[in-house]
Amino acid sequence: MREAVLEKSWYSAGLKEWIFTTDHKKIGIMYFVTGLVFFLVAGLFGLAIRLEQNSPGFQFVSPSFYNYLLTGHGAVMLLWWAIAAHIGGFGNFLLPLMVGAKDVAFPRLNALSYWAFFGASVIVLLTLIPGNQIKMMWTGYPPYAAHPDAGVTAFYVFAIHLLGVSSIATAVNFITTYIRMRAPNVGFWNTNLYVHCLIAANVIQLVGVPSLAGAVTMLFLDRYLGTNFFNPQLGGDPLLYQNVFWFYSHPAVYVMVLPIFGFYSEMVATFARKPIFGYKSMVFAIWGIAIISFIVWIHHMFTSGVPDWVRVLMSYTTVLVAVPTGVKIFNWLGTLHGGAIILRSPMLYTLGGIFMFLIGGLTGIPNAMVAIDLGVHDSLFVVGHFHYVLGMAVTLGIFGALIYWFPKITGRMYPEGMGKASFWLVFIGANIFYFTQMVVGFMGMPRRYPDYPPIAEWVTLNQISTIGAVILGIGVLLWLWGIIKGLTSGEKANANPWQSPSLEWQIDSPAPVDNFGDKPPKVDPDYHPYKYGAPPTF
Amino acid sequence: MDQVFAYPAKWWNEAVVVWLVVAVVIYIITAIPGLYFIFKYRFQKGVRELGDQEKHGHWGLEALWTIVPTIIVLVLATYSFAVFQKQRTAPPDSMVMKVTGFMWGWQVEYLDKDGNTVKTVVTAYNPESYEVPEEQKIVVPAGKPIKVLLTSLDVVHAFYVMPARIVEDAVPGRITYLWFQINKPGEYWVFCREFCGTGHSHMFAKLKVVPPDQFALWLKGDDTSKVAENDSLIKGGKDL
Repeated sequence: MREAVLEKSWYSAGLKEWIFTTDHKKIGIMYFVTGLVFFLVAGLFGLAIRLEQNSPGFQFVSPSFYNYLLTGHGAVMLLWWAIAAHIGGFGNFLLPLMVGAKDVAFPRLNALSYWAFFGASVIVLLTLIPGNQIKMMWTGYPPYAAHPDAGVTAFYVFAIHLLGVSSIATAVNFITTYIRMRAPNVGFWNTNLYVHCLIAANVIQLVGVPSLAGAVTMLFLDRYLGTNFFNPQLGGDPLLYQNVFWFYSHPAVYVMVLPIFGFYSEMVATFARKPIFGYKSMVFAIWGIAIISFIVWIHHMFTSGVPDWVRVLMSYTTVLVAVPTGVKIFNWLGTLHGGAIILRSPMLYTLGGIFMFLIGGLTGIPNAMVAIDLGVHDSLFVVGHFHYVLGMAVTLGIFGALIYWFPKITGRMYPEGMGKASFWLVFIGANIFYFTQMVVGFMGMPRRYPDYPPIAEWVTLNQISTIGAVILGIGVLLWLWGIIKGLTSGEKANANPWQSPSLEWQIDSPAPVDNFGDKPPKVDPDYHPYKYGAPPTF
Repeated sequence: MDQVFAYPAKWWNEAVVVWLVVAVVIYIITAIPGLYFIFKYRFQKGVRELGDQEKHGHWGLEALWTIVPTIIVLVLATYSFAVFQKQRTAPPDSMVMKVTGFMWGWQVEYLDKDGNTVKTVVTAYNPESYEVPEEQKIVVPAGKPIKVLLTSLDVVHAFYVMPARIVEDAVPGRITYLWFQINKPGEYWVFCREFCGTGHSHMFAKLKVVPPDQFALWLKGDDTSKVAENDSLIKGGKDL
């Protein structure tokens, strides 16, 4: 790893070093910045969708362009923001630091991961050109995705292929790093919960991504080379795609949310100044979620015409997901009990995220109970529900995590006032936004509708929802402004501003290029990342 | 006519109430202690500077909040299973309708006991408004169970009978089904709920629920003006 030592720290590195870097911290920063830019664009798409749905009739965009906005919003938010920005971004930055390693196991492969991801990003940008737009939704269901009305399916397929290469390489890299490169005395039962979550998420990636790549490859062959995997007129079956697609894409939601649970665990322990409650049951819950996630995918297909017995079977497996996720929520509450809680902005984001996730989890039950799902499937209720879990629990987690690790990444503190203000705006705005969506969905409003009949309650609820979206948008911008302010004029951070015993805080801020120096860090035999000794001074 | 407005909406509403009660109770018993801890165990200089380092788990509590939720969700899933069976079992005396989705409208065929088409209604794609011409309304008898056989000519659609709170996909190459019964005459919405392209949000229909004797007259086509219109629509439907 000579090149890692020769490199300059990120703030003094030139463009050439950024492009050719194999340093996990620089790659992490590049991942996060790319993800963040795409998050903002997809957020604007979301706002346009919201404004179009604000009242009945076609106001701002044509239905065809609306479908492009929906496809872009869904695919980019899920794959760029909810996966790449934090697994590629924070995962890269934090994993070697938390296990006491110099870099990930295969630094060059790691660079390849980023550049494959970058290639997918370029493909997505190409769809902004009129005529290249893709409109088949991020799910890409055939036969529609093979229909000319769906736009250029190939862009979607190639973007997924490149992301798949990136994800599989990252998964191999992270899992190997975790197994082989831990410092002495860092073991299975005393690594950070974030590391457990990250590794579980990457195991899901390794098992699942090939399935998604296979699904979209068949789609590509059907559309352009005349095969008939999914065309019923030639003996294919559209449900084959749905099965293969959701076999990965349901577990993918835990790829998105498990590392966020990891963020919550780190921040709750630090700001309650207390060891995480039930560390072992947390680890079991993480791996339990990872395993159950692969046997629940039919709940996305409860109304697709699959046999009744399999709907009932997967209804049972799906409700069981509530058990390990419930254990995690109760353990976080257990961590708060008897703590010395400091409500700094990362802690606000964490607590807000946990409460959002609680609502998201409870509103997941009717989607899992097949009888209720038959009435709410593909309604705005589902949209509201997954914006609580994937939209807000993930976004609040990332926002909080950025503020929390900001000193380690940049060497400066994030301005606390802006952290608090942005939290309240995001939290209140998101709740108004998505709660009303769930209500209007229960009344029957279908999802993916740019226009709808002027039913009075629907119109009112959609207009309230838009107010929430505007507040949420202002909150996001404020958080972003805080980053810029922190980078330019934030106060200088010391090595361990939160006085955490976790390994990443035992080195300078910002993290030095060679992490812990030539030798692995000395870790006490009784090391635990949540052992808070001294009273906090921050 | 009994008091129930529609099936399976009645059972669906009950299931929603059951879930809502459970969810609100769980929310309260989780959120209230959570908020209480946040206020009670606040950092205070000189008084409470450090959390309790010894409290890092309690196997009894952890077992409790593993086992109790398991039981709750399994009970809910079993209850949902029971409701699901009713939702999926059309009464034997159901009238059968065959509904074919296409981009972007529905063709509804009324079948007799031998499966022959007696009458056909086709809805036309109207991207401008949600007004439905009289002859494109799907007329069904009030108080009678109706089994809908679903399929599609092109892409996947979904037939959502809003008053009955039931949806099922219309998949090309497959025949799926749902059943419903609406007891109160009136006009109700039907929407496509599976994404199907540019016209998705205008792939709707109006369900016109009429008393059974009026329905029998309509089916026979006694209203001559409408018979002529329907004939042309059947031809239009076949061209599709």
